[in-house]
Amino acid sequence: MDFMKTMTIAASGLKAQAGRMRIISENIANADSVPDAPGADPYRRKIPTFNTELDRSLDARVVTLGRVATDKSDFRLKYEPGHPSANADGNVKYPNVNSLVEMTDMREAQRSYEANINVISATRRMIQRTIDILKA
Amino acid sequence: MAITDVPILSMLRTKMSWAQERQKVLAQNVANSDTPNYRGRDLAAPKFDDAVAGTSRPVDQVTLAATTPGHIGGGMSLNGASKYATTKGGYEVRPGGNSVNLEDEMMKVASNQMEYQAATALYTRSLTLLKVALGKR
Repeated sequence: MDFMKTMTIAASGLKAQAGRMRIISENIANADSVPDAPGADPYRRKIPTFNTELDRSLDARVVTLGRVATDKSDFRLKYEPGHPSANADGNVKYPNVNSLVEMTDMREAQRSYEANINVISATRRMIQRTIDILKA
Repeated sequence: MAITDVPILSMLRTKMSWAQERQKVLAQNVANSDTPNYRGRDLAAPKFDDAVAGTSRPVDQVTLAATTPGHIGGGMSLNGASKYATTKGGYEVRPGGNSVNLEDEMMKVASNQMEYQAATALYTRSLTLLKVALGKR
């Protein structure tokens, strides 16, 4: 049934957005992680990527979570000479995670997720309508 | 004559299969709303002329042109999505190369659902009409 294909496509969107949410939560959770050793690098921000993939059994272009890239930008430096992870200059490297950016991404992921849910419920109502013909 | 050969029913079936196919295209747009370089698509509406004429669509049949007597003609019949051409939609392309506008897609999904609902309601009514003609209540 073709409506089932529609549901599967929307489900691929849900899965991709949920995966994105996972990576965002990883970033937020590690926003203040410090390096293990003095002068070492801390947690590096991860960026989720999306790929369009042609699903041959569905004959449709579904979305998949692609390679997880890392943010190449500089780490935040904080002058904390007493910190166990401080380097020779007394600076501690903090992850290049910006909470504001993560929050915005999170809202966007949530919105896309809701849109996919909306497609699923609309499709379900259409299936229900088809079944209702039998009752006529 | 099969019951589905009644013109009104077959017309409604065309409409319903179009809405079904369009729902699939819209789901693809929504699912790919964050994919870079994805261009939103939409399904072209069925032609009124085809429905009235009630003829088989020539688009369904794709055959190889035989220009010399030695050529072997090949043919295949297409069904489903290929009956209607998908059109590129979206004029607002984001820097990432994605042209899907979630609000627009939601509106399309809602209107598609409404159109489908109208078609199924008419289908049910037509079946009731047939029953009345058959003398069942």
